[in-house]
Amino acid sequence: MSNSVIKSKQNQVFVMTEWCKGCRFCIEFCPQHLLYESDETNSKGYHIVRMDDNGNCIGCEMCSMVCPEFAIHVVTADEEPEKGEG
Amino acid sequence: MSDREHLEGEHFMSGDEACSEGAISAGCRFFAGYPITPATEIAERMSDRLPEVGGTYVQMEDELGSMAAVLGASWGDAKAMTATSGPGFSLMMENIGLGVMLETPCVVVNVQRAGPSTGLPTMVGQGDMMQARWGSHGCYSIIAISPDSVQEVFDLMIKAFNLAERFRLPVLVMMDGAVGHMYEKVVIPPLDKIHLVTRRRPDVPPGEYWPYMPDEDLIPPMANTGEGYRFHVTGLTHDERGYPAMDPEAQDKLVRRLVEKVERHRDEIIELEEDGTDDAEVVVCAYGITARVATIAVERARREGTRVGLLRLITVWPFPEDKIKSLARQVKAFVVPEINYGQISLEVERSVAGMARLALVPHMGGDVHNPATILEAIRQVIK
Repeated sequence: MSNSVIKSKQNQVFVMTEWCKGCRFCIEFCPQHLLYESDETNSKGYHIVRMDDNGNCIGCEMCSMVCPEFAIHVVTADEEPEKGEG
Repeated sequence: MSDREHLEGEHFMSGDEACSEGAISAGCRFFAGYPITPATEIAERMSDRLPEVGGTYVQMEDELGSMAAVLGASWGDAKAMTATSGPGFSLMMENIGLGVMLETPCVVVNVQRAGPSTGLPTMVGQGDMMQARWGSHGCYSIIAISPDSVQEVFDLMIKAFNLAERFRLPVLVMMDGAVGHMYEKVVIPPLDKIHLVTRRRPDVPPGEYWPYMPDEDLIPPMANTGEGYRFHVTGLTHDERGYPAMDPEAQDKLVRRLVEKVERHRDEIIELEEDGTDDAEVVVCAYGITARVATIAVERARREGTRVGLLRLITVWPFPEDKIKSLARQVKAFVVPEINYGQISLEVERSVAGMARLALVPHMGGDVHNPATILEAIRQVIK
């Protein structure tokens, strides 16, 4: 399954594109208005969500919490494992 | 405001109808429910009245859905309620707990009938008093009130909505089939004579709002969904942001506050009615329709020369243990009649803590006590 990794300067938003059903909840709830519905579709034909990668993601994780399909998760800068760890 | 929004004046109506009118005068504009005897008339009247006042009535698929819809409506800024009887109350329990966890103001009316299970569907019972306190899973505190007349049903519906909005939790109105189906005079006062409380709003800009950051009184201000305040509510243990926090420390902090926000305000919440308890040697402690039946027994006992007082629990939960404790130091005995095999009597027994005798007068339901039975219990307990 192909996953989309959207990296901002501080935080990373991961969208499991095959799980996205295009409900737009994350788009509605993002306080920075960074997410949008793209022209791309997944194998079920849903328009998948993408993010404007302008470094403005504040890592609030609201997108991951409102996603009814658990298709988004966020790794904030302070959580990112250092190189060589694990 | 249309003149149908508040039916000021004198009326002759049933307890169920007064329940609906009390709700509407309190500002309730959303009802979701599933009809059940003896609470059906509440739903019926709400289905008539809510469209007249710009409210919404939804007949749901069942009581699980009803309670869920009420919580959702409350988050959308409606004063919301549902009404049911024992079997439906059982089905609502899971989402009543969710309402406690999400701190969602709403009112749940239980017009109690005789159980368990389907029991005597059209006949009176008081068997859900402990379920009201402990029915949902986990540890929490709840508020439950119990009216004994049709007028008081109206008055307590206003109080119930005020308490729900003030303390942000589901408030349970524990009626019974007798009060629900009883017809009496009701005086609906002018709207400016009715004190209404609405939930405290956040006074910070959306970006600074923490949805579960309590004020000093342990109650957090509440924003509505769709107002621009971005927040997340979850039945999972959560931190002040409303985000899941899966650790014992967050659990301790949250559950303590959910309990304490009620317990710390007991004096503000608890309402009792006392008659002749000052110099009493026996106190009859009752609630709902049984308190009314007990007044007859109390009067007869007084004619026999016994000093009997009546303590009527208008607020049943949180339980007025301090009042019972102070009376227990003064009286010889308590008599607790109730339409079950002993529920509130257990709380009285706990509060009395051996300082006085206690006589339970159980009645299994289907009708109310015979006052003679309560009188006999008063005679026996002081022998």
